[in-house]
Amino acid sequence: MLIEQIIVFGAISSGVYALLALGFTLIYGVSRVTNLAHGSFYMLGAYMFFVFSSFFDDLFGSGMVSTSILALILAVIFVGIVGILTYRIAIHPIVGDQVAVMVVTVCLALVFQQLILLIFGPTFPPVRWPAGSFLVISTLILGVTVQYSRILAFVVSLGLFSSLFVFITKARIGKAMRAVSQDREVAMLMGINTERLSMLTMALSAMLAALASILITTSTSMSAGAWMWLHPLALSFSIVILGGLGSIKGSLIGGFIVGYAEQTVAIVVPEGGAIVGVVPLAVMVIVLLLRPRGLFGKRVELEE
Amino acid sequence: MVRRYLRRGYSSFAAHVFDIPPRFMVFLFLIVLLLLPMVGLAPYYLSIIIQANVLAIFAVSWDLLVGRTGQISLGHAIFFGIGSYSTALLFKYYGLPVWITIPIALLTGSVAAFLLGFPGLRVKGPYLALVTMAFPLIIGTLLKWSPLIPIFGGEFGIRGLPAFFSFLPDPTPQVNYQRIAEYYLTLFLLFVSSVIIYKIANSKTGIVLVSILDDELASKACGINVTKYKLMAFMISGLFGTLAGCVQTHLLHVANPPMFGLTLSFAPVIITFLGGIGTIYGPIVGSFIYLILDKYLLTDLLPKLCEYFNVTLPDEFVYAKLLIFTLIVIILVIKWPRGVARFATDKLEDLEEARDLDERGPRIWKRYKRKEKN
Amino acid sequence: MHLLQVENLTKRFGGLIAVNNVSFHVDEGEMVGIIGPNGAGKTTLFNLISGFLDPDSGTVKFKGENIIGLAPHKIVNKGIARTFQVVRPFRHLPVIANVMVALKSSRGARKIEWLKTMERKAADLLEDVGLSELALEPAENVGHGDLKRLEMAKALATEPDLLMLDEPFGGLNPLETEFLTKSIIRMHLDEPSRGIVMIEHKLYALMKIVQRVIVLHQGEKIAEGKPEEIAKNERVIEVYMGKGMQHV
Repeated sequence: MLIEQIIVFGAISSGVYALLALGFTLIYGVSRVTNLAHGSFYMLGAYMFFVFSSFFDDLFGSGMVSTSILALILAVIFVGIVGILTYRIAIHPIVGDQVAVMVVTVCLALVFQQLILLIFGPTFPPVRWPAGSFLVISTLILGVTVQYSRILAFVVSLGLFSSLFVFITKARIGKAMRAVSQDREVAMLMGINTERLSMLTMALSAMLAALASILITTSTSMSAGAWMWLHPLALSFSIVILGGLGSIKGSLIGGFIVGYAEQTVAIVVPEGGAIVGVVPLAVMVIVLLLRPRGLFGKRVELEE
Repeated sequence: MVRRYLRRGYSSFAAHVFDIPPRFMVFLFLIVLLLLPMVGLAPYYLSIIIQANVLAIFAVSWDLLVGRTGQISLGHAIFFGIGSYSTALLFKYYGLPVWITIPIALLTGSVAAFLLGFPGLRVKGPYLALVTMAFPLIIGTLLKWSPLIPIFGGEFGIRGLPAFFSFLPDPTPQVNYQRIAEYYLTLFLLFVSSVIIYKIANSKTGIVLVSILDDELASKACGINVTKYKLMAFMISGLFGTLAGCVQTHLLHVANPPMFGLTLSFAPVIITFLGGIGTIYGPIVGSFIYLILDKYLLTDLLPKLCEYFNVTLPDEFVYAKLLIFTLIVIILVIKWPRGVARFATDKLEDLEEARDLDERGPRIWKRYKRKEKN
Repeated sequence: MHLLQVENLTKRFGGLIAVNNVSFHVDEGEMVGIIGPNGAGKTTLFNLISGFLDPDSGTVKFKGENIIGLAPHKIVNKGIARTFQVVRPFRHLPVIANVMVALKSSRGARKIEWLKTMERKAADLLEDVGLSELALEPAENVGHGDLKRLEMAKALATEPDLLMLDEPFGGLNPLETEFLTKSIIRMHLDEPSRGIVMIEHKLYALMKIVQRVIVLHQGEKIAEGKPEEIAKNERVIEVYMGKGMQHV
């Protein structure tokens, strides 16, 4: 029974983690930005979904899946805009200095944390799909009770991941991203507007984080909280380092490895839930000490 | 025209005040700090400076590693926490007095630095930042794990630790001898730590450390065993970081998880950006700016000003504090990436040049004017 | 026994062979030049010998001892010093401190004469390359030509038995080139047992100094011999100028 639980739940969280990590690795690959506020976009996603859902609930009455989906879309777009603004205001001026970027983004993360505390207080708003919808109904997979919302999360994350993979390999903008991540100067010489591309990538990165957040929090018993940006940040780092900075394939595989490692610890270790946060950190340390470039990292390139 | 005269006026003033070599400024700063308790500064303000002293030791040790040797550490809290919990555990289980626990804790910190540094320092740049960041977070999380609570006290940590000067009389409304003693102790420790680190940073070894900062490869090509020097810097940095942790624990009488916390790890980063990275005075000035900004301006002065102007602060202001603080830091970093104190000293150097020109000015102008007449 | 013996050295980067089965030797007191068009693998060869890269196969013996796999600083302390094609000064340090770094190495410190301080030795080295006036200037303020000389001073600080110079004349004007030529010749006369290997593109300067030339092309050694012979070697001319230009 334990093993089935690990397999099923591990798979679900892994898919979403892969999306989260993808966002992180994209902005690093394209602009060399170590965005320590990536977790904050995650947090904002959950909160904005709560805000928009509540708004629509007041307007139309609760219980409609369609409004929830609209809320999701709006929340994701909102966070995307926040991402663009963040890049323009806080990162663009110092984009050459990696350490300064880290300092500014971590301060920004604290700013967001405090803003959330100011606006929402130290409460933990639940982030849920509507109570009556089919998403809350459970089904059995491998003998494990799973809510449809989790299955949705899994399907959406993998679907989106593959679409993005295709996008980055085939679409013009995707190819531009790869070009810039390999050699910024040459890309500029070829006429690619790297700053505009950076902003776009930032938006995408933020939106992925927000989406991942909504998918996870709606499908698990987690609530939002002003400190919820730390765990996803650790996850992002860990997966991206394991998979290789700038590698898309790496984000996927890394996501699964870390996701499963977390699940295993949570289920097998006594009181494991409390120390689940250690898993991504430990993975990261081990990878960095043994093979810093990770599984598929090749210095810094967005590869297939 | 007026501006030029103003500039001349200011630069001659600057000539008289700032033409003093920096050592004298330091001396002045020290004298002021030494005299503060004696002029009757309230215990509350004394404790701000006590905290600043401890934080400064922490920041200076960090700067040796990061600013001088170029090894980005975002997990310096690990030493703080090791110092803190080592001395706490030694007291809890063996009842040892402070003057025994602290040296043992320092030893533990150095050993930890060696063990962590050996594999850790082989890793480069941003990766090193991440590894160092992870260590204290891992330990911090494990400290709160239920099976370990009996030993480490979980979220509340280990409490009831002795003060340094418990043999002194208890505080009265008029005077707090213990606080004053702590003040001088931390000041003394800051002085000693700064001098030691300063001597190391400006020695030939320090030169090698800067070479590692500038170009590790070229340093190797000069025959330098880079790993050995990095490890040395890491251990010295760790030693003083541990010291800061030990001292803080006995000032606050508690050892708890925030001492391995991310905020603490990031504090030296912010402090050096405020004060100037790679110098000795930078982290010290930065620590004072940081704490005065946080504990005095925002916690003390602002509420008092609001009272004065009859403005009521909403309850949520407590959250806004950190918000305002981080916003200020963001603005400072974007405007002056090399640090405020650095910016100030650079500007002072510029002013000096202006002074020279202005002194030479009139004579040149006279010659020029004569030429024009012809 | 040769001072430096390189045998069948090979290095691949992915699918590209940068150094292909190269063998050569340098004896005590010899001055050898390595030339070849860009991308021929010359700097890679230096990196392999000085320990910054590990070869895929082959051996490098220095004074009979195999030095493959040793860390770069250990190789320096055994007696091989190299300069870099693109200068690598320590920007934040003054010029004299740059040299003092090299004197802090174990070999550098050993070679400081009895009763001399490190600062004195550094000052002497700067004088030898003509940089005394700039001694206290931060390296980041120093011009390219002077930085090239600083590279030389740093390399000489460890009193190497084998000196490897990577494009020492790069970016120098004719006056600087002439000064450096004289310096290198003087270095040779001062220390007759020291071997010098030089990579250089400025063939006219190189040919005046070295006694033997090795030509690399696409990672392979295609010719070796006295400067006059190499200058007339058809294959060499073809490689530099392209086919059909031999008679130009």
